[in-house]
Amino acid sequence: MGKAVGIDLGTTFSEIAVMQGGEPVVIPSAEGSNLFPSVVAISKSGERLVGQVARRQAIVNPENTIYSIKRFMGRKWGEPAGRELPVEEDARRKTYKVTRGPSNEVRVAMGGKEYSPPEISAMILQKLKTDAEAYLGEKITEAVITVPAYFNDAQRQATKDAGAIAGFNVLRIINEPTAASLAYGLDTKKEEAIAVYDLGGGTFDISILEIGEGTFQVKSTSGDTHLGGDDLDQRIMDWLCDEFKRDQGIDLRQDRMALQRLREAAEKAKIELSTIQQTDVNLPFITADASGPKHLNITLTRAKLEQLVMDLVEKTLEPCRQALSDAGKTSAQIDEVVLVGGQTRMPLVQQKVKQFFGKEPHKGVNPDEVVAVGAAIQAGVLKGEVKDVLLLDVTPLTLGIETLGGVATPLIPRNTTIPTAKSQIFSTAADNQPSVEIHVLQGERPMAADNRTLGRFILDGILPAPRGMPQIEVSFDIDANGILSVKARDKGTGREQKITITVSSGLSKEEVARMQREAEMHAAEDAKRREEVEARNAADTMAYTAEKTLRDNKDKIAADLNQEVEKKIVAVRSALQGTDINAIRSATQELSDAMQKIGAAIYQQQQQQQPPPPPGGEQPPGGEPPPGKEGGEGTVEGEFREV
Amino acid sequence: MIPKEPEEGLTDKVDAAKVELEDVAALKQALAEEKARADSNLAGWQRAQADFINYKRRAEQEKGEIGQWANSMLVLALLPVLDDLERALAAIHDELAGVSWVDGIRLIERKLRATLEAQGLSEIKALGEPFDPNLHEAVMQSKGKNGIVVEELQKGYKFRNQVIRAAKVAVGGGEEKDEAKPDESQTSA
Repeated sequence: MGKAVGIDLGTTFSEIAVMQGGEPVVIPSAEGSNLFPSVVAISKSGERLVGQVARRQAIVNPENTIYSIKRFMGRKWGEPAGRELPVEEDARRKTYKVTRGPSNEVRVAMGGKEYSPPEISAMILQKLKTDAEAYLGEKITEAVITVPAYFNDAQRQATKDAGAIAGFNVLRIINEPTAASLAYGLDTKKEEAIAVYDLGGGTFDISILEIGEGTFQVKSTSGDTHLGGDDLDQRIMDWLCDEFKRDQGIDLRQDRMALQRLREAAEKAKIELSTIQQTDVNLPFITADASGPKHLNITLTRAKLEQLVMDLVEKTLEPCRQALSDAGKTSAQIDEVVLVGGQTRMPLVQQKVKQFFGKEPHKGVNPDEVVAVGAAIQAGVLKGEVKDVLLLDVTPLTLGIETLGGVATPLIPRNTTIPTAKSQIFSTAADNQPSVEIHVLQGERPMAADNRTLGRFILDGILPAPRGMPQIEVSFDIDANGILSVKARDKGTGREQKITITVSSGLSKEEVARMQREAEMHAAEDAKRREEVEARNAADTMAYTAEKTLRDNKDKIAADLNQEVEKKIVAVRSALQGTDINAIRSATQELSDAMQKIGAAIYQQQQQQQPPPPPGGEQPPGGEPPPGKEGGEGTVEGEFREV
Repeated sequence: MIPKEPEEGLTDKVDAAKVELEDVAALKQALAEEKARADSNLAGWQRAQADFINYKRRAEQEKGEIGQWANSMLVLALLPVLDDLERALAAIHDELAGVSWVDGIRLIERKLRATLEAQGLSEIKALGEPFDPNLHEAVMQSKGKNGIVVEELQKGYKFRNQVIRAAKVAVGGGEEKDEAKPDESQTSA
């Protein structure tokens, strides 16, 4: 069984997307781009070219390069259709020959043969299919293809035919604004009115949809077939030329090469100004005259850009008014607004749309890809890949346990997809510790006391052993329903205890958001507190280790060295009584230095009995033992040790 | 005397048997439903597993490619600067021609180019070559030999054998150029 894809078959560009692990993914073409020019050609040598390659030779092969075929899909000579021009008018504007079939169908001539528009579209779809199969490594057999909301039956059927010719089983033809709504998950809403504002490179479309009982209905459409991002680029270009003429007296409009560079620079500046407040248009050696080379270096601010294009953006609002009126609605009655098309990235556009409809538009999905993404989602639903039972949840907050010093040690980080399981080995904090308490926590703060307690239990029967030796395996397991089981197992004795907690109980979305915000606000002071705890733990470990070393090597250490180290140990312990972290840290360091002397002394003794080892630098005495942790009053915490 | 009890017992037994038969039928149905559900769950699981394996494979592949892709993005962003530098050097005033500082800039341009080439950048041959849409983008048609690139308006480049920018060219349409008219200056742009 092959994969099902979603295809946005556009007038100038097409895109293909597929569901992957529950998420829609846009598939790049073999040339590496997500956008695929809807152009087909037969080269002079008879080779068929599709996509980017076809576009590159359009100017030298105008009669055999077919573009914007979408305008002729499902249409006949003498028949008006949708918002398109009459076929006669459209045909006149094309560089290729548009001919008449036996029943007045539209045909196009390419490379000496005649083709129907679905056949041409099928060539585009075929290339999309081949590239996608190569990328995914598996066959693609089914597709959902999108069409404009104003397409009539004949136009939809032609699109379906194109899919069939290309070798797809077309699962469904859906409207582009519907696909955009699906991409934002709006199909789960009941009884809502949705406005889809689509401002692309060359055209503007506004659609008013109504959703009820899971089906989308198109109430009205309107638009402007000659208004888009390209017009905004032109305004910038004109302004740059005017400024240059004013400053340097040369009209760049006469210079074809300069215009080419200007066009690219204008588009680049427009895009940059969507995220920054001003940009430099910097084109050295843009032209030359008798006095030498000339450079263009002009600053364009976002405010100036908005001035230059304000009327164009406002022009989109008239079709919006028309569409609302045709749908019998006021802007207040629109519940959701969706943005489609690259030009909607512009802050001015978003602002005007928000003003007009009185609500914040949906804009999280890449506006160039939103239609293909929606089609892929629809394909997934139709194939049963997106089922309720498979909708997976995430843990909204981090889950962990309390460890030495009141620290919260995470086991399952927040936003982990469930079901999931994680275990980690911990240990005792004191010698001969007979039991450990597992204190299960939920929250983002580093200190246990600031997080929410989900439960506690005790595992006892731990055999007497030095601290840090026993291995207590703590496992967290969350099932698909959000039920958490925490188990603690002593790997030595085999004893285990566990509890079951329903994690999601009692926490609303607002509470989760609040806890996350609080964690962020307190991040600095929490970090400081955690550092303090770590300094204390380190000091305690150092003291414990020092004592042990002295005991174990009593006979090898000189008396005065022994005394010195003991003094340092006392210093550390008394610093730990207080709260001055710097004092604790410096006492720890002094003890560490003193310990090194012991190591040096012992190794020297050994050397006198053996030849010295080859030079390799001094080794610190015995290495640092894994940090043990001091217990509080009887409560015992596990030690964090990497597994 | 016929004891009632056994009769009742018998009726009870019959009733019990009837209920059992109904139970069995219901159980058989429930079993069929459970089986169907188990099958669909297994299929879903297998599909998810397959998806995951494919995704892993592609993630590994992309991990390897990402370094290359990131580099090609960077180099692509630098090309306009390289273009400008070339323009500057092509426009040297006669008076400056012999100045050693200018020679220095020339050397710098060469060094920049060499550095990029060492990373994998290579120029696309255009001028005089047969027009190839895989490598060239026809921006206009000009006088000159048919199907041959007669002018290069912007240099094209490959990065590690993938075209990152097609050369913008003028292609000959078959009419021969006049000898008297000077050629359009071939400043690369």
